[in-house]
Amino acid sequence: MQRIVLSIVVLSLLLASTGCVRVKPWERDLLALRNMAWEPDPVEAKRESHIYFSKEASMPGGSGGGGGCGCN
Amino acid sequence: MKARRPSATRLALFALPMICLLAAHASALEEGDRAPAFAAPALDGKGTVELSQYRGKVVYLDFWASWCGPCLKAIPEIEDMRDDFPADEFQILAVNLDQQKKKALRFLEKNPIGYPSAADPKGRLPDQFGVETMPTSYLIDGDGVIRYVHRGFSRGDGSKLREEIRRLLATQKLGKK
Repeated sequence: MQRIVLSIVVLSLLLASTGCVRVKPWERDLLALRNMAWEPDPVEAKRESHIYFSKEASMPGGSGGGGGCGCN
Repeated sequence: MKARRPSATRLALFALPMICLLAAHASALEEGDRAPAFAAPALDGKGTVELSQYRGKVVYLDFWASWCGPCLKAIPEIEDMRDDFPADEFQILAVNLDQQKKKALRFLEKNPIGYPSAADPKGRLPDQFGVETMPTSYLIDGDGVIRYVHRGFSRGDGSKLREEIRRLLATQKLGKK
């Protein structure tokens, strides 16, 4: 019984490991599209980000999606 | 007290994230490594761009995409560099990584470049070079060895690059004597 449980755990972990893929810097093409940002309007995005970091006391606030080149 | 042997499950739980981390950090080419001798179709559809064609010259190889802000900032600077060095000793090559070629071509219509650019929408070449950030450029000597890697692009980088190119050209000239 223990062996079956162990096999299931190891198999599930192996399957899960196939999901650990990093988006490579040159694959950010679609992520950089304006409509992929949480908030495409820059003014609104800035306002939301300001509220976020004020409330959470964390920097740099919001998301990292949109406009990115992966260089920062 | 008897030491507990780690179970296979615990080992697996520890090992898998490690494997994932190692897989994510594939080796990036650095100074002293040989640049892969690539041949890729030209962005304008006219023939291929081959690195081996420029053996003997110092090659500045730039990976760029139209969606990458710093890449677009770098392009006019790179274009200017072309006039600063003798054409028989120095060559600029580029590899465009847009998934849709037409976006790159639209950018080049407004900002024409005088050096060849390859198109690699599947990202085969940056994978081979281990590009870690966009843009990344490589200064390759006449023997095909990478002598300088420049990651990202910000104001003032143009003069730094010129300095590196000048230094490499001088070293190459000394080597030929």
